[in-house]
Parts: sequence; C-alpha cells; structure tokens
Amino acid sequence: MARSMCWHCQSEVTGEYFCERCVKVQPVSKETDYFTCLGVPRRLTLDPKKLEAKFYELSRTFHPDFYQTKSTAEQTISLSNAAVLNTAYRTLRDPIQRAEYLLALETGSVKDIRTSPPADLFEEILELQDTLEEYRTSDRGSDQGHQLRAALQAEQEGLERRKEEMESQLRQLFADWDKLQDTGEATSPARAERNRILKQMRDLLSHRTYINNIVNDLAATIA
Amino acid sequence: MAYSDKVVDHFNNPRNMGSFKKDEEGVGTGMVGAPECGDVMKLQIKVQNDTIVDAKFKTFGCGSAIASSSLATEWLKGKTIEEAQKIKNTDIVQELNLPPVKIHCSVLAEDAIKAALTDYQQKADTQPIDTK
Repeated sequence: MARSMCWHCQSEVTGEYFCERCVKVQPVSKETDYFTCLGVPRRLTLDPKKLEAKFYELSRTFHPDFYQTKSTAEQTISLSNAAVLNTAYRTLRDPIQRAEYLLALETGSVKDIRTSPPADLFEEILELQDTLEEYRTSDRGSDQGHQLRAALQAEQEGLERRKEEMESQLRQLFADWDKLQDTGEATSPARAERNRILKQMRDLLSHRTYINNIVNDLAATIA
Repeated sequence: MAYSDKVVDHFNNPRNMGSFKKDEEGVGTGMVGAPECGDVMKLQIKVQNDTIVDAKFKTFGCGSAIASSSLATEWLKGKTIEEAQKIKNTDIVQELNLPPVKIHCSVLAEDAIKAALTDYQQKADTQPIDTK
C-alpha cells in the first residue's frame, strides 16, 4: 500500500501498514480497493482459506484492543482500519459480491458497458408475481389453492435450476477473467475479451438478482 | 429511517395498479429493473391525441419503488407526451421525501416513464395514427 508520507514522523512510508521508521500504524486510504486492502490479487477465484487467514492476520494487526495504550491518533487509525478491513472481507469472501465489487471497480473505466433490460425475464417475473398474488388470496385448502401451489412449486424448481446454471456460467467467466489477468496482455483482442467478460458478467449478475428475488418470494409464500 | 407519510399512503393505497394489453392501440409499455436490488417495474400509458388519458403500473420491489411508480402514474394522467418527458426523478424524490438510499427507486420510475414514452412513439411511428 503506497502512501506518500507518515502522519507521525513525516518520512516516506515504505512499509505495508506501518511506517518503517517510527513504527506507527498507517491509515488505510479510502481510495484503497478491497483487494489491495486485504493484500490479495484482483482475481475472481480466490482461495477462501487464504483470504480468511489474511483477514485474521490483519484483524490482529489492526485490532483496537492492541492500541489501548497508544496515542489517540493511533487508536483512531486502528479503529477505522479495522472497520475497512471488515467491510473488505465481507465483500470479498462472497463470490457474487466479489464479482459485483470488481465490476464496479473495473467499469469505472469502461463506460460502454450498457446492458439492455431483459424484457422477457421481466414479463415472466410479473406474471409469476400475479400467480403468487392469486395464491395468496386463494383458499389454500381448495382444489384451486392446491393447483396453484403445485404450479408455483414447479416454477420455483425451474428457476432454481436456472440460477444454478447462471452461477456455473459465472464461475466460467470468473476463470476467464483471471486467466486474462494472468496473461497481462494489452493487445486489442485482449481488450475485446476483457469487455466481453465484463459485459456478460454484468448481465448474468443482474439476471441472477432478479431470479433470486422471485425465488425468495416463491419460497416464502409456498413454504 | 422511516418512510414518509406520502410513501406509506402510496404503498397502502397504490393508485392505478394494473395493466393494459401491450398491443392495444395507443398503449406504451415501459419495463425496467434495478439490477442492484432486483426490483422490477412495469409502467404503461394510454395515449389519445397526444395526451396521456390513463396510466397503470405494476411494481415488485420495496415501498419506495411502489410509491414512486404509483405517484408517476398519477402525474402522467392528463399530461401531453411533451410534458411527460419533463418529469424528473428529483421531482419524485421531493414529493415523496425519499432518503438518499432510496433515490434509485425514483430513477427507476423516471426510466420507466421514458421507456413507456419511447415504446409509445415507436409504435406510433410504425402504425397509422388514430386521428379521431
């Protein structure tokens, strides 16, 4: 984590989280992304064990309990670092949130990621919500209630399968992304590949969220 | 943060909930979604002689999204196409007193209005206009 100057001794900071000269803890900058913050590469397939180990290590490093005898400035830094670290870990440990976060980071520079709303999926969701409403207001013990429930259950299973399929496509895209990062090429085919991955990822993540919502509604209603 | 009274009112008594047939003459349909939260909004307008005579919506999402689209349909009725274009999400934010975390709901409603207007105009361009 490159920082220009130590807040305490004003010397150039060369250490990662501490000033090497005066050994004071350094604030994690607000602009530091979560990958850098946790000291992991900007990849979508991360080893959860390694990520967890790194999080525990840094948690110990910044834990406010260890700064109780230090100056107020150091206590404040440790507290805010610990908070950033928690958010960073919570975001990165979940593969979906990690991908959403990476997209936000990457698309800051790729403005041309425009996705068209999935009209068919919206129609489907609206229709399903109508059926759900019908079931909610129906007499659940009646034949009609039973039929509706069976139909909704079948829909739920179908949607869950689609969600799983999307997640497996996402995992493939994650792998593609990491592979591209590893080659580190800046050629125009590499750029095209990068944009393809980001766009497909954006679409899949959005569609997954819509499906996830309706699946949750279905599950909650017919449970 | 609690919802404002106006949001609660629109949520409990949504105005103009429902839908028109998509292929009905003079009907424009806008369907939009918010990928962040998964809310889905459908807003439809019925136009006669360049004026929106009726509007309907169906929204599946949070209270603010429902209130935003409900309010939008109220505002759309009686407006000309040109006037409707001018509805801004900030107007909705102000009217409903939406907190910062719910501003995207009003954006969704504005997008839905724009989509419905575009759909209507595209249909009008490809179909003979009813001049009765």
